Amino acid sequence: MMTGQDDNPPFRKVLIANRGEIACRVIRTLREMGIASVAIHHPVEARARHVREADEAVEISGETPVSAHLDIGQIVGAARAVGADAIHPGYGFLSENARFARAVDEAGLTFIGPDAETIALMGDKISARQFAADYGVPVAPSVMPTEDLAEFTRQATAIGFPLLIKAAAGGGGKGMSIVRSAEELEGAARHAASEAQRYFGDGRVYAELFVERPRHIEVQVFGDGKGGAIHLFERECSVQRRFQKIIEEAPAANLPAALRDEICASAVRLAAAANYRNAGTVEYILGADGRFFFLEMNTRLQVEHPVTEMITGLDLVRLQIEIAAGRDLPFAQDDVTANGHAIECRICAEDPERDFLPETGTILHLDAPQAAYLRFENALDRGQRVTADFDPMLAKLVAHGPDRAGATRRAIAALHDLALLGVKTNIDYLARVLGHPAFAAGDLHTGFVVQHKAALAAAEPDEATRDKVLIAAALGLRDFRDLILGVPEPHASIGLWRN
Amino acid sequence: MSRLQSSINTASADFRRNEAHNRRLVAEFRAKQEAARHSRPQRDLDRLARQQKMPQRKRIEMLLDPGTPFLELSSLAANMAYGGESPSASSIVGIGMVSGREVMIRADDPTVKGGAWYPLTVKKIVRALDIAMENRLPVVHLCDSAGGFLQLQSELFPDRYMGGRIFRNQSLLSKMGVKQLALVFGHCTAGGAYIPGLSDYSVIVRGTGAVFLGGPPLVKAATGEDVTVEELGGAEMHTSVSGTCDYPADSEEHAIEIGRDIVSQWDRLPRWEAQRETPEEPFYDPAEIYGIVPDDIKKAFDMREIIARIVDGSRFHEYKPNYGTTLVCGFANIWGFKVGILANNGVLFNDSSIKGAHFIELCNQNNTPLVFLQNITGYMVGREYERRGITKDGAKMIMAQSCSRVPKFTVMCNGSFGAGNYGMCGRAFDGRFLFSWPNHQIGVMGGDQAANTLAEVKANQMKRNGGAVDQSEIDRLWEETRKAYQEQLSAYHSTSELWDDGIIDPLDTRNALGVAISASLNAPLGPPGYGVFRF
Amino acid sequence: MVLKLDLDGTVHHLTILARRPHLVVSVDGRRHVVQGLDEAGDGSRQLTVDGEPLAFARAGSADGVIVRLDGRSFALRRLDAAAEASAAGGGANVVRAPMPGTVIVVHKRVGDSVQRGETIVTIESMKLQMKLDAPRDGEIAEIAAREGEGFDKDAVLARLAAPAEG
Repeated sequence: MMTGQDDNPPFRKVLIANRGEIACRVIRTLREMGIASVAIHHPVEARARHVREADEAVEISGETPVSAHLDIGQIVGAARAVGADAIHPGYGFLSENARFARAVDEAGLTFIGPDAETIALMGDKISARQFAADYGVPVAPSVMPTEDLAEFTRQATAIGFPLLIKAAAGGGGKGMSIVRSAEELEGAARHAASEAQRYFGDGRVYAELFVERPRHIEVQVFGDGKGGAIHLFERECSVQRRFQKIIEEAPAANLPAALRDEICASAVRLAAAANYRNAGTVEYILGADGRFFFLEMNTRLQVEHPVTEMITGLDLVRLQIEIAAGRDLPFAQDDVTANGHAIECRICAEDPERDFLPETGTILHLDAPQAAYLRFENALDRGQRVTADFDPMLAKLVAHGPDRAGATRRAIAALHDLALLGVKTNIDYLARVLGHPAFAAGDLHTGFVVQHKAALAAAEPDEATRDKVLIAAALGLRDFRDLILGVPEPHASIGLWRN
Repeated sequence: MSRLQSSINTASADFRRNEAHNRRLVAEFRAKQEAARHSRPQRDLDRLARQQKMPQRKRIEMLLDPGTPFLELSSLAANMAYGGESPSASSIVGIGMVSGREVMIRADDPTVKGGAWYPLTVKKIVRALDIAMENRLPVVHLCDSAGGFLQLQSELFPDRYMGGRIFRNQSLLSKMGVKQLALVFGHCTAGGAYIPGLSDYSVIVRGTGAVFLGGPPLVKAATGEDVTVEELGGAEMHTSVSGTCDYPADSEEHAIEIGRDIVSQWDRLPRWEAQRETPEEPFYDPAEIYGIVPDDIKKAFDMREIIARIVDGSRFHEYKPNYGTTLVCGFANIWGFKVGILANNGVLFNDSSIKGAHFIELCNQNNTPLVFLQNITGYMVGREYERRGITKDGAKMIMAQSCSRVPKFTVMCNGSFGAGNYGMCGRAFDGRFLFSWPNHQIGVMGGDQAANTLAEVKANQMKRNGGAVDQSEIDRLWEETRKAYQEQLSAYHSTSELWDDGIIDPLDTRNALGVAISASLNAPLGPPGYGVFRF
Repeated sequence: MVLKLDLDGTVHHLTILARRPHLVVSVDGRRHVVQGLDEAGDGSRQLTVDGEPLAFARAGSADGVIVRLDGRSFALRRLDAAAEASAAGGGANVVRAPMPGTVIVVHKRVGDSVQRGETIVTIESMKLQMKLDAPRDGEIAEIAAREGEGFDKDAVLARLAAPAEG
């Protein structure tokens, strides 16, 4: 990773329109580059880590903490007030909000990310898909919404099976079905249409190719905004729960080199076509048959960017800042090399035994393992309350290894040694996922968690372990310890005796 | 300090015979103890269960710090009184550890006549509180008593050491700063009500606990008022209205938890720092005591063999080993505590008496607690010894012992007859604790001697009256006297009357002394000095 | 004295059997020798149980302890006698006014089931608002408090059904 003070820092002061681990992550790079950092915070997080670590902090108000972090006027005003010359949006919150990018721009500040038009283009599913298709990026074949069932059936049959059929107007699984043969098609279409009419007052139905056992593959790209673009290889994010990623890795497991090249090339093609500026991620679904389809493009830094950093040795935030300052891409595609394998685990406050429902609590104890091959990205403090105010993701544990098996082993060991107590987390669950034979085999798809539900459930601890836990717990209770140590002699020596 | 050299042959016929004999005695003792502790009419046990009340012993176990000793005192009190209907004199008394503090625990026994106090119950409670005062031991009362057993009121109410003494002692304990906690589990009526009333802290269990001078039937009889137990003296009323009790508890377990918490708030008063070493188990097996103590009280044995099986590492520093050899004196450690031991190896002569008095003075000078191991037939009698001043020399020993400022502990190992009992710190001499072995006998003289003496007197009387000596009458008198003596001499009679603090298995001697010595350190030493020694 | 810890819905009993020469702890009647308990602190890192090193992380929580051992976290709840008694209907039945005042809010109705510590009424007295909580788990048998009405000290404002009825 590139480190050390920049002789000529591109900015003097950057405001981070975010919080938590990503704010701390950005502050770290700013500090290395000799750029002053400004944190923003709602009153409830006045003592949070990102506030303490930043050189300056500005309080923003809002009915809820989240609403404060979504308040464009206040944030841009704060940046101007403190004399920042750029804003880094992190991920989430306003990072993919075109209005925000525009407001930053109009305030005479630099938005560290793509321009507002690109954000808007990629932010709209339909336009993004169309744009991708236009530039030869494969999109899942689909039948455009129609009420004409005969036409629908004709087009659908042309695509082939299996097909996913649903109401064009809405979601929620109403009228949704998977059709695996032509015989089923007509009935399913009719059913979908009537359901669509019934629930949404809009009888149009839609169909697209259904990818079985889909894998989530994404490509990290950087564009210079002038048609130049490179990729920093792919990441695999197939292990998901509740449609959200929990384990990401780079590179993808068992991906044939030709297919990897093809996927990465298409991502670069898309970025170049869009005159993409700054960091972006092109997401695909990859079928078992090797066909891949464009899903969407994220016009920001990804949560899982550290796995890319660990295999490429690059600092993606630094690249973002340099490009935002108008500098050229500092290297060519051929200069980018990948080394080893990296795995990221998202540590979330949730209960895997109860359908991953978010948990709240207080961080009572935090002890993370440290090693050159580990990153523990967090903004946690002992005593910090974990509330439902923000996303349940508490931290990210990233492990690098010479190969996938090595990285997996290191990640499992690190999860084993990671003590984050006071709120229920998925730490142990993640270790079980990494330890599952199907994970080791690279047999991944987005239904992994559901498929292996039984095997991934926590086993009852054996009696010996349970007794140790109980002893460790008892020794932690002050009065039990007093009971052991507070008995004077000779009673302590005589022990249990009755005459 | 060098290790005693034992000369016991554990393979000898004597040893085996003694062992069989003493094991039988201990088994007999254990059986009596077990019955006193647990044998109750089924209906009483059923009632307890119906009231969802735990047996007192279970409450005590919950109250104590786990893995610590509990020295129960006088477990066979009243075992020969009231036709045996008041086991352990209807109360449990003992010393144990609660929240890291040594405390006296005293519990009523609701399974016997609603926890009513018999005369010996009162004596046992008074003794428990005396121990608490002498040793500054905080007291935890587990209250569940209907008050005095009315049928025997004349034996438990009016006199100086009867009922009122309990409350006098409670008051003085409080004045001394020795804490008392009452946990009220059942109905505390009449006298029973004053125990929580005079305790510094009190906890009362909702539903089952109640405190009143007169229960609902008595109130009805006296004033015609109809009132429920709860209204009259329940937990809610006493903790929120009358203030007679401090803490309401939602269950017995809760009451015990509150009680433990209260005790943990008590200051730990400074203990008198006795000289102490790291404890060491005796080198010789204590179980060999069974083979050492003879099967006949008239047979002599070397008390050093007993000492070797009680003291740390069997080490003993003997004082004046060649002088006054019928009284073995010396220093040793018990559970680490330095003690001065006086043990009888025969009748007390002039030299052994003087040696004993001198050794007691040394221990007082050196702040060393005294342990008396009694096996004494008395001071030597006869013209020669009277001329040498045996009475005067015995008096020196009694004077030195009586005026001792260090705590004293007595173990009745075999026999205790005549004035030897006085010199060796018998019950009258305010030793902190006095324990008896099951084989022990005590009296002015032995049964044979008493029978002989009385037969002799009777024969002389017959002769004086001019009649012939009726040998069959003499024989009858002899046998009667011997039998009556034998019964009164037994350890069970002693302990029934609370002449000791309990019979103990000889193997428990070391632990009992350890707990007792430890308890004694809570009280500061008394003032030094003696009366006039007759030289 | 026995320590009761709830682990995943099962109550376990721990007590001390001996302190010398080694600490011996009983867990549900099973004996374990614990060594290395540092007198100065908890010395958690050097502990052994039955000769095997016991490495763990631990934090005290509001109602117990959280232990991380062998790569797994366990939340243990301590059971105290008061809570147990309360759950068994052993607490007081009545909610009394600690001082004279006025009822501000009645939070519960007759028939509602309440847990110990849940507020039943809010009162105001001497310009001070005060919440009166359920003394134990149970069912409301009577609510004597009426919003806006005054009451005297020690007035019964609510009553729980006796355990037998509840």
